[in-house]
Amino acid sequence: MSLEEKFTAIRKGLLEFLVLKIISADKVYAADILKELNATEFATQEGTLYPLLSKMRREELVDYEWKESESGPPRKYYELTAKGRDALRETSDYWQKISGTVKNLGQK
Amino acid sequence: MNKVITINLNGVAYQLEEGGYDALRAYLDNAVRRLEGNPDRDEIITDIEQAIADKFRAVLGAHKTVVNLKEVSDVLAEMGPVEDTTGGPAAESGAAPREQGRATGPGRAEEYAAPGARRLYRIEDGAMIAGVCNGLAAYVNLDVTIVRLAFALLTVLWGAGVVVYLVMAIIVPAARTPTEKAAASGMAATAQEFIRRAREGYYEGMRSFHDKESRRAWKRKFRQEMRGWKHGYQQQQAQYWRSWSQNWSHGWQQGCNPAPPSAPPPIVGPVFIAPLLSILLFALVVLMCWAIYSLATSHAFLGVALPASMPLWVGILLVVVAYQLVAWPIKSARYACYFPGHYRHGGPFGGLFGSLIGLFFLGFGVWYLDRHVPEFHQWLVELPGLLHRGIDVVQSWFTKTP
Repeated sequence: MSLEEKFTAIRKGLLEFLVLKIISADKVYAADILKELNATEFATQEGTLYPLLSKMRREELVDYEWKESESGPPRKYYELTAKGRDALRETSDYWQKISGTVKNLGQK
Repeated sequence: MNKVITINLNGVAYQLEEGGYDALRAYLDNAVRRLEGNPDRDEIITDIEQAIADKFRAVLGAHKTVVNLKEVSDVLAEMGPVEDTTGGPAAESGAAPREQGRATGPGRAEEYAAPGARRLYRIEDGAMIAGVCNGLAAYVNLDVTIVRLAFALLTVLWGAGVVVYLVMAIIVPAARTPTEKAAASGMAATAQEFIRRAREGYYEGMRSFHDKESRRAWKRKFRQEMRGWKHGYQQQQAQYWRSWSQNWSHGWQQGCNPAPPSAPPPIVGPVFIAPLLSILLFALVVLMCWAIYSLATSHAFLGVALPASMPLWVGILLVVVAYQLVAWPIKSARYACYFPGHYRHGGPFGGLFGSLIGLFFLGFGVWYLDRHVPEFHQWLVELPGLLHRGIDVVQSWFTKTP
């Protein structure tokens, strides 16, 4: 198994967290989220992202409005809700904690 | 030179090569299936279609008006399989890096190509042990429970069921790719399947058009497509293209029409019948639980005692069997109320009236035979003894082997 394959589960688990971070920085279209992620190791596809965004909207972490884009029909323009900001903060703290653990484990 | 099929993605028409259409259809059907139970299913599908439309637009231009098969396959490979984020079966492939997705593009094209004839597979989604009964049921188009019962009966009466099951589990391959899964239930193999998909496509189109004029154009266009599928392709394609472009430009030029399109007539009967059937089904479940409880505590139910030598678990098994036999037509009827024309529980007996009539005939048949055919009556009386002997065989087989 290559390194990428070993970390598949981790990437999948972190996806929601990363999407929250991306949306918190700026209001975005779904296509923008994909563009940003595809420049990193966390590249993902529409088939994964759209159901995830739907789930996050159901959980009231994000909300969208219909906004005209340069070409074609109006698209969903996503932003973070207050609940989403709290969730992001919580997850960020938890991430700090576990990445601290990962860093310190095994060191004398 | 290949045939071209025009599709509607969120109100804009795209022309695809026929193979590309089949691939896209298979992808979207798969997506709908994967998202079953998801409350945002329709919205997600709309978003997916929009993303696909954007990617199509990128390959089209003034001098290129058709998306060919390879381009469709590439787009679908880029999109990736739709997964329900509670961790669907495509969990691993969904998280693979995009480069991987692109590299397997041409390979994936075969996956999304139109499924062929019906083939026997093991279906592991929702299977109890190895999916043998599941796959067999899909192949023969029967309810899974019936096939499982048949295997159980085979085991109980002759002991051979276990061997047959193991052999099948080893030999019959499991359906893993979307093509195989589609072939396992024989999709796209019959004219009826085409018609069902056409109907779905029609309603999808109706839902995504929001103004009356384009709805009319869509309806007219769609009706022509339907006729073409039934009566032969070539001349229909030519006629369709001409009248569609006429209607389209006519509609855009005129831009106004006060008369609204007629809505499909509401189906009143099933709206009332379906809850009744649900209540009946619930009552049956309660009855079954009561029977099991009463058998467990006092070895008798409503005054009918189990033969003393029959072990308890057989009695319970019989009760479950009886429940499934009676519940099967009721479930089919209820399903038919919600999805008229869709047969989930088995063939021509799946419709609302079909299943009720089936149940009626079953009861009448048993009663008639019992009264008028002495051998049948004799056999009915002997049935517990036969089962009892079968159970002895299985029990001795169990105790013999260490």
